[in-house]
Amino acid sequence: MDVAGPTGLRRLGERRLPMRYEFRITGRVSEPVSHAFPELREFPAARQTLFFGTVTDEAHLYGLLGRFRDLGLHVEEMRRLPD
Amino acid sequence: MTVPLTGDPLLAAKLAVPCHAPGLVRRPRLLNRLTLGTKGPLTLITGAPGVGKTALAASWARSASASRPVVWVTLDEDDTPGVFWAYVVEGLRRSGALAEDDLGTPVCADDVDRSLLVRLASALELAPPLVLVVDGLDKAPGNAVPEGLRFVSEHAGPALRLVLISREDPPLPLHRYRAEDRVHEIREHDLAFTRKEAVQLLRGQGTAPDGPLVDLLLEHTEGWAAGLRLCALAMARSEDPADFARSFTASEQAVSDYLLTEVLAAQPEPARDLLLRAGVLNRVHPDLVAALTGRGDAGRILQDLARCHAFVEPLPGTQWYRFHPLFAAALRAHLRSRQPELEPLLHRRAARWYAEQGRSAEAVDEAAAGGDWSFAAAQTVQHLLVVPLLAGGGSPSADTFSRMPEDVPGARAALVAAACRMARQDVPGCRSWLARAEAATGGPALETEPADGLTAALLRLLSAPGAADEEAHRVAELLARLPSEERARHPELEPLRLYGQACARLRGGLPQPAREVLEQAVRACCGDAAVLLRHRCLGRLALADAAAGELTLAEEHGAASLALADQHGIPESHRSGAAGLALAAVALEREDLAAAAGHLDHAELLADTRDDLDLLIERSVLRAQLETARGAWDAARTHLDGHLEGPAAASPGPAARLAVAHATAALARGDLDAAATALDQVGTGDAMPSHTVALAQVRAAADHPAQALRLIETAEESDALTVSDRVRLLLLRAHQALLDGHEDRARDLLVQALDTARPEGLRRPFTEAGPWVRHLAAGLDGRSGSYTWLGAPHAPADRPVVEQLSPREREVLQQVARMMSTDEVAAELQLSVNTVKTHLRGIYRKLCVSRRRDAVERARELHML
Repeated sequence: MDVAGPTGLRRLGERRLPMRYEFRITGRVSEPVSHAFPELREFPAARQTLFFGTVTDEAHLYGLLGRFRDLGLHVEEMRRLPD
Repeated sequence: MTVPLTGDPLLAAKLAVPCHAPGLVRRPRLLNRLTLGTKGPLTLITGAPGVGKTALAASWARSASASRPVVWVTLDEDDTPGVFWAYVVEGLRRSGALAEDDLGTPVCADDVDRSLLVRLASALELAPPLVLVVDGLDKAPGNAVPEGLRFVSEHAGPALRLVLISREDPPLPLHRYRAEDRVHEIREHDLAFTRKEAVQLLRGQGTAPDGPLVDLLLEHTEGWAAGLRLCALAMARSEDPADFARSFTASEQAVSDYLLTEVLAAQPEPARDLLLRAGVLNRVHPDLVAALTGRGDAGRILQDLARCHAFVEPLPGTQWYRFHPLFAAALRAHLRSRQPELEPLLHRRAARWYAEQGRSAEAVDEAAAGGDWSFAAAQTVQHLLVVPLLAGGGSPSADTFSRMPEDVPGARAALVAAACRMARQDVPGCRSWLARAEAATGGPALETEPADGLTAALLRLLSAPGAADEEAHRVAELLARLPSEERARHPELEPLRLYGQACARLRGGLPQPAREVLEQAVRACCGDAAVLLRHRCLGRLALADAAAGELTLAEEHGAASLALADQHGIPESHRSGAAGLALAAVALEREDLAAAAGHLDHAELLADTRDDLDLLIERSVLRAQLETARGAWDAARTHLDGHLEGPAAASPGPAARLAVAHATAALARGDLDAAATALDQVGTGDAMPSHTVALAQVRAAADHPAQALRLIETAEESDALTVSDRVRLLLLRAHQALLDGHEDRARDLLVQALDTARPEGLRRPFTEAGPWVRHLAAGLDGRSGSYTWLGAPHAPADRPVVEQLSPREREVLQQVARMMSTDEVAAELQLSVNTVKTHLRGIYRKLCVSRRRDAVERARELHML
């Protein structure tokens, strides 16, 4: 029987795929500080900075949030981008 | 390691209340909150970096408001749970709250076993009231530290008041604590500076801004302490404070980024360069900074920076400084953007400085961080750091070198790789890297440097396929050539050598000589540095005792090994299953199958009963014996079959052990051919009488009495006969006499066998011999009381009680005895279900049982209930 068969497995697999995320940071970020996030692309916005990029997994995600915090940056918004 | 706490001011600084920062603002409203909070069990101070968490707790700890003694522990990035608990234990000892013998020092950097926390909680329950401050809880990797703190806090009773400082909410059941009013929280918005406090702070930094300016800064920084301090710094250096404030508030840049960039830019060039370079390290010494920057005035610059409270703060009681975490991250970002190639270079320079200072463990860490594996390996070999690596638990560990590429040239890198393989019990891997090391020097000598020769010889000894006494002597010779202070620095060297020699002898099938060496090894293990090794030596000694038929001693040594592990909270990852296997072997020999299964189940959870080939063979043999005793012969064979072709079977000891176990299982199911084949696979020799005995059993069963007799006589001449060999030989002779119709003589021999077996409570040979024993014994009435003990149930003293139950465990067991479920016990005693389970595990272990019904029965036998 495969109630949790192929579909269940695929869903699990999808979760593990790299995900694209967007982070909105309060204020603009200087060039050296953006170097602390080499895996993300950065776009300035009004009184905000947007960081986009591929997040490998949850550990990477929490690591990124920790890095923002360590630099005293406030994450205003964070969302997963549609594939 | 052991975590070296004495003599190193740097580590003592972790137990000191942080220094009073210049220009610190006294914040009575928050100090009162802390005083209030510490009237309850838990106070939590949370907030982003730089909101003044540590400053608040430190100023409270120094002030008179702290009416109880305060024990302070600062966590750093690289502190693992084992290291953390070692600091806590040390801090509590220094404050007088713990006595030396309440519990052992944690000796494994990775983690501690729950048993240590149980002891800690019960010791604190009786200790005078105190406050334990843990600063930087978020830095502990994983949930182990908060989980442990939760356990201790919930079980230590009202004497312990915890203050936890963290950037994030720790994984504690805060919701429940709030509902039960068990936690007092001081959160980020509480820590934000009020207008009055902000004015004080700015004045303290030598600026006296007017009212509207203060409001502006306060609004823009949202009362963020570090932000205000950075503003003060920038304004102190600027000609026109108002101008700074204007551009700051007009800027669209993130507050922390703007302020840090401003303040960094406002530093004179030398200070800026110094900050960028030194920022790659977590803590710095003036001389280390001088080495990183090439500046003679590094010390003065650091002092100036600390005086105006910029970026660095001194570590109490030392010449060292640490970076505020907020600045460290920013400085690294700035360095990476300006000179990305510099970071590894700085680590390498730091490695060389540490090496010059004789701090070789730190030198290895920095060299590894800088990717300079040749230097890391050279330091490790030269300073004999493979010894702690092999003895286990500390730094550097095999993990330090996990990123080392395989193609690092040179004999030393190969030696380190071999040692890492050995530390992970990968003996074939160790041997192949040793061969590479030898090839790299063009021969097996490696004699150019004494440390290289010693390292190689030690590894050769530890990975020897059989008895290696010459190699052990070689190590001893090289050891004697070391300068005495070098020898004193590594007290684990001699026990490690003896351990290696003994394991090699066991592999060579020489349990008796192995025991002699292991006894020396146990005696040679002194101090916290050798606790792990002592635990392992005692376990192997117990195994060797069991192999030599000394069941009582095996039991004592096995129990001592387990007790030592509990005393020091050795985590499961570092425990050896040798002691458990030995206790299982004893139980099997005494026909206590339930206890044997319990010990085996426990031992099989420990990694070295899988990874260490000798222990793996022992474990499979014991499983097979257990199945044979239960009559499940096929199952017995499956446990053994996989090993016959394996590498371990190449060593005489394990090979003989496997063959005999195979033969015994085959004999029990009446398959004489299989038994003979199994025994034929290893050559007979005087050293292995158990093999000859088994062969005699097969011949006797196959109805070749003459051949059997010759084998019995050969075996009897051996001076390595164990008690169980002797009992088996007597039984063989008794059976033969019975078959020959000499019943009286058979009885005499049986009485002899019984008298030989009795002191050790050895029962298995009698059951294995077959039903004739029972018939013959029936006629013993009046001749001797010998047979009665064999049939009697096990006396309670047969199974060792490792240690007494704690009061809490006794309570739990009393509830269990009332037939309550775990959930019911938890509700009754107001504990969590997990805590009850932890206590149950402790009870099982201490009573050597594996089920709750057995635990209750056993506790009743021992009058513990």
